[in-house]
Amino acid sequence: MSAVRQFGDNPCRPRHFKPPPCTPVIPDGPAKRALDGCRRRLSVAGALFLGLFLVLAVRLVQVTLLPGNIAVPKIARFHPVPPPLPGRADIVDRNGKLLATTLASPSLYADPRQITDAADVTRKLVAALPGLDRAELFAKLTSGKRFVWVKRHLTPDEEYAVNQLGIPGLQFEREEKRVYPYGNLLSHAVGYTGIDDNGLAGIERGLDDQLRGRQEPLQLSIDLRLQYVLHEELQRVVDEFTAENAGGLIMNVNTGEILAMVSLPDFDPNHPDTPDPQHPNIPVADRMFNRVTLGDYEIGSMFKIFTTAMALDCGATTMTGRFDATNPIHIGRFTISDYHGKHRWESVPEILMYSSNIGEAKIALAVGAERQQEYLRRFGLLTSPALELKEIGKPHYPAHWREVNVMTIGFGHGISETLLQLASAASALINGGILRQATLLKLPPGDAPQGRRVISAETSDHMRELMRLVVQYGTGQMVDAPGYVVGGKTGTADKVVHGRYSEHQVRSSFVGVFPMTAPKYLVLVMLNNPHGTKASYGYATAGWTAAPAVGRTIVRIAPLLHVRPVDESSPAIALGLMPASLQGKRIEAY
Amino acid sequence: MIKLSTLFWLILVSATGFAMFAVKYEVQALADQLVQTTGRAAEAEHEVRVLDAEWAYLNRPDALAEMNQRYLSLAPIATKQLYASVADIPLRPAPPPPVETVAAVAPASAPPLQRPLGATRPALSQAAQENPPAQSAAPVVTAALDGRTAAPEPARPAPVKVAFRPRSSPRARSLDALIAQIAESR
Repeated sequence: MSAVRQFGDNPCRPRHFKPPPCTPVIPDGPAKRALDGCRRRLSVAGALFLGLFLVLAVRLVQVTLLPGNIAVPKIARFHPVPPPLPGRADIVDRNGKLLATTLASPSLYADPRQITDAADVTRKLVAALPGLDRAELFAKLTSGKRFVWVKRHLTPDEEYAVNQLGIPGLQFEREEKRVYPYGNLLSHAVGYTGIDDNGLAGIERGLDDQLRGRQEPLQLSIDLRLQYVLHEELQRVVDEFTAENAGGLIMNVNTGEILAMVSLPDFDPNHPDTPDPQHPNIPVADRMFNRVTLGDYEIGSMFKIFTTAMALDCGATTMTGRFDATNPIHIGRFTISDYHGKHRWESVPEILMYSSNIGEAKIALAVGAERQQEYLRRFGLLTSPALELKEIGKPHYPAHWREVNVMTIGFGHGISETLLQLASAASALINGGILRQATLLKLPPGDAPQGRRVISAETSDHMRELMRLVVQYGTGQMVDAPGYVVGGKTGTADKVVHGRYSEHQVRSSFVGVFPMTAPKYLVLVMLNNPHGTKASYGYATAGWTAAPAVGRTIVRIAPLLHVRPVDESSPAIALGLMPASLQGKRIEAY
Repeated sequence: MIKLSTLFWLILVSATGFAMFAVKYEVQALADQLVQTTGRAAEAEHEVRVLDAEWAYLNRPDALAEMNQRYLSLAPIATKQLYASVADIPLRPAPPPPVETVAAVAPASAPPLQRPLGATRPALSQAAQENPPAQSAAPVVTAALDGRTAAPEPARPAPVKVAFRPRSSPRARSLDALIAQIAESR
């Protein structure tokens, strides 16, 4: 046996050599036992295999001959190609209107070597695709290259027309294109994307990662209808007073949601780099600049609401407190005077109503530098605001907070803020005292983010009364939105031109909140360098420019926001919003 | 014996082979169909996306405003129109007083222009039959109408046909409630 194994297994065995035949083995005692064991194992193995084959046979019969009643396999062995998914999620407004979407758009290219009659093809293509340059196309088609673009991003109609031509040598390449159906309307909020579908501005840039990685549309807090109204009213007031630029936003004061955000001049996100046909002289960078979130401005008298609120909240003065606004304040080389002053002692409500710089500077002095800084920090006015955008500006304020700074900041000069943080802080003053972070994303209904208390509810009540007075008797009388119980504050700041405050250039702004009985929405409008008109008697101040724009906006948006007009002269409203100290007294109008 | 079993296995093998291929081809055909269907679905989905974008584009607020100017000339609702709500609008006046009084005042003032909601024609005619003076009132009204002196404003003749069948359900308090009532009864 050992010899057989030896020779039989040897691959190097010479061909002529044959091992000797085996001697037959006669089973005897131990060998027989061994053989029997082998047979037993063999039969067991055979039975096992027979069983397995039977199972297979039964299963085969079951699968083939008996239809139905088979469990569908969980994992399909065949994987169909999933439909190509858009590379970027859609963006919709709070009502589901499509603000940005990705479409696969065909781009037409040609293989000039396959094109026989270039002149004929050029003629047909120019007829089918308007906007093509005939000479350029002919040069491309006769270049002898293997690949030339004819036109990128065709519309479905153009694609159909080219297919109808049936010219060999023309091919389509599927490319993705971001489409913004509403064009200029949402340029700064939604932003735009570059050629590789990467977000370059607005939400497209700020939430680029989120948009790439999701299928379901991203829902913004923006309401398209309000956006349109604000855009139209802002454009109207810019045209009327030939302002350089403007910004405006509408905010829900109880949640921090931004319902509309407009910055003018704007751009068409479908073609961000091409000049505006109506205003070809405005540079692209100027049109892309977001004046609501990125620009920081000295806002002027609007800031007085914060000074008054902090003074009331910290107890530096009360609603009945009085300050001497008879004479201008001279401090160092500065003179603080009033625009249309009353030149007398004024109470706290009067100082805000008549927008007295002298009075407000004295209130600020009563608050003091330390408490002023603490409150401004609390209001979020000394740090950059947070939003889902990358275009966020930061406030500018003096490094050394001197006495003169305390006074000028008291009435909004010497400190610059973005409109966004002004809106958030103003919301906090009148919504009961809770500061909430602004957001461009829709919140679930009834869900308000956790805010933090910045002033007491009582101070907030007083601020509502005071801002209502401003519109009723003070600088904001031209809001003129009867029935919606608007409260607000004007702000007219001298613009800084070449490092000096200009006598002739102003920045006019107005913050309006309605309805003051239970504040819901805030409208903030700012105009840079408006010019007075005949209709405004030459005035370019906020009361004549921004306030009416806010009023017109409120009248148009209130029905959309389900805010019903009320009778403002009814005692419940008229007395409910009147400070106790002024009830029953005659109030001198501005 | 061996032959018989061989035959049996041969038939079994060919049968299973046939069945296997049949299943295989069926699966292939289904797979092709699946690919086609998913392709068509993707195409349709893309078309829907294009149409969505186009719909949004056509519904641009400025485009709608322009079309409104051209075809409809609708104006925004004025604030003063919003003080009252639909629920505040009263329904037509309550059912008229009994017919005698109508007859009595008929010559002086015009008959009710519109038939009140609750009034029923059978009830009226019944009442007229019960009260003979009511019948005599009719010519008086006509005479007054002809003369155009007694009636302060030209009165339309009372509608002959009942516009709708009055229902036995209780009077609706407001227009909204009435609409709900009608919807319920349908």
